[in-house]
Amino acid sequence: MTPESARKRSLVQVTLLSLSFAVLVAVSLASVYWLQKAREDNAWVAHTLEVQNQIALVQLQLRRAESAERGYVLTGQDDLIQQFNEAAPDVMPRLLQLRGFVADNDVQRPLIEQAIVSAQSRLERFGNVIALAKDNRAEEARELLRDDAGRRAMNELSDALGKMRAEENRLFSERTSEADRSQALATIITTTGSGLVLVLAGLSIFLVRRSARARDEAEIQLRDNNLNLEATVQERTADLREANEEIQRFAYIVSHDLRSPLVNIMGFTSELEELRSDIFRRIATLSREVAGKQSAANADSDGEPELEPADRQLSDDFTEALGFIKSSIGKMDRLISAILNLTREGRRQFQPVRIDTRELIENIASTVAHQAAEANAEIRIEPLPEIVSDRLALEQIFSNLIDNALKYLKDGVPGDIVIRGRQKLGFVIFEIADNGRGIDPKDHQRIFDLFRRAGTQDRPGQGIGLAHVRALVRRLGGTMSVSSALGEGSTFTITLPAKWTAKKSQEQRA
Amino acid sequence: MSNPVTIIMIEDDEGHARLIERNIRRSGVNNEIIPFTSGTAALNYLFGCDGTGIEHQHRALLVLLDLNLPDASGIDILRRIKENDHLKTTPVVVLTTTDDAHEIKRCYELGCNVYITKPVNYESFANAIRQLGLFFSVIQVPQPDAP
Repeated sequence: MTPESARKRSLVQVTLLSLSFAVLVAVSLASVYWLQKAREDNAWVAHTLEVQNQIALVQLQLRRAESAERGYVLTGQDDLIQQFNEAAPDVMPRLLQLRGFVADNDVQRPLIEQAIVSAQSRLERFGNVIALAKDNRAEEARELLRDDAGRRAMNELSDALGKMRAEENRLFSERTSEADRSQALATIITTTGSGLVLVLAGLSIFLVRRSARARDEAEIQLRDNNLNLEATVQERTADLREANEEIQRFAYIVSHDLRSPLVNIMGFTSELEELRSDIFRRIATLSREVAGKQSAANADSDGEPELEPADRQLSDDFTEALGFIKSSIGKMDRLISAILNLTREGRRQFQPVRIDTRELIENIASTVAHQAAEANAEIRIEPLPEIVSDRLALEQIFSNLIDNALKYLKDGVPGDIVIRGRQKLGFVIFEIADNGRGIDPKDHQRIFDLFRRAGTQDRPGQGIGLAHVRALVRRLGGTMSVSSALGEGSTFTITLPAKWTAKKSQEQRA
Repeated sequence: MSNPVTIIMIEDDEGHARLIERNIRRSGVNNEIIPFTSGTAALNYLFGCDGTGIEHQHRALLVLLDLNLPDASGIDILRRIKENDHLKTTPVVVLTTTDDAHEIKRCYELGCNVYITKPVNYESFANAIRQLGLFFSVIQVPQPDAP
């Protein structure tokens, strides 16, 4: 999976999830809204029913009052008065209440006003009829009953109330349908919303599972790759190790085999030297014999025969040539010995032990004390951390570096060599700093190469020390570097693991 | 070495052989020196055609052995000499360029009598060989059983 597609996929996932969340929120809000709406609609329906109920009650009470009035006028029974008194006063409050109910309705308001007026006049008439009947003026009461005005008022009232009821009926059906619609809408929204959320959730789950699967696959591949990588690294390490050992063996054999012819060259050169004296003595004798024949006067001289000047020149040239050959052989022998020592050192097994570094360096300093005094140099050892490493290797490292520092001091300046150390993250860092002649930065790499030296070649040496030191430092799992400039002294920095274990090196060398 | 002790010199480098011989002679040793330039030839001579070494049971020998031979390892020759019933009493002087402590130890373990490293410096070399010659003139070699 390319990073591009991975990013796209995760973007899609995020979008989907936020989309589903948005849908969920929208659906919830819509549901709440529409449910609220439905409840309101239902309340309105209930309101309508209440209004209708009130209208019915008003009519009922009026009818009751009317029938009680008539009955009383006809029979004069007192319990009818009672009945009338129960019904009649109930009408007006109910109408007023009704007016409150329909106050928001423009259609109903004039109707209720009219109904109230009609009901008032009707109730007044009731009151009059009942009063007349009470005063035993039944005839007048009946007369009043028969009067059309009462019936008219009653009709008007009925008419108004009928209209109101019709209006309420209309409102009822309207509101019912509205409530139904709200409810249906709420249901639809809830269901579709839930469905949508379910679909989105399903999609998200699918995507998440797919990406999880992709991740698992990637993980497996990564693990495989790691294993492969490890195997490759191990293979390469083994190859390198083999190559390294091969080189060491090669160096050993070569240096060893080079020695045999060198013995011959040296041997026969020496034999030649012997021969040379024989030859030139013979030449001298012969030339003297020849000369003796010519002039017997010179024959009395004895001792070493003198050479003719030309022959002496020959003899000197001979000696010079032999001298060059011998010095070259000597040099070659030293180089070969150095290589042999290096390869031997490379094959030595290291033994990690706890080392008091300060004591170790003090020992080295005491062995070079004489040289230091001669060179007018001072070796200062600052507090040093302890280290677990190979003692001999450390001794060689430090004595080489201190030797170098003493060897390459600046003429006429008292030497000052400082050995510092500190611990950092499981490593110990040593610094060997001097105020000597320094090393040109372009030679910083070269000085670590075998048989390479830098600067004025006025000191004995094969160019082996630093190569050896670096090889040792590397074998101990460390690194080394130099910082220096011509005439400003040098500082060699060595970083070594604080706890070197043989196991690590065996793994490297196994 | 008053008695006729034969010095068997196994040295592949003829120059070395010449230098060794010359310096031994200079120290006044006049014994017969039989040089071999290959391990095989030396072994053939030492062990005879039947490979038992019985041919030399009545001779006093001294072996001067170089370790780096082209056809056989000197160590191998040393081992075979020291394992042979008729030759094991023969003194073996290992004279080689190797000064590897490991190698030296191994030679002595196998029964080498003297181990000398050839110095590259000719003066030391000549000196060493001459001293070896002097040494040869004083050491006692096991005398062969009377025939």
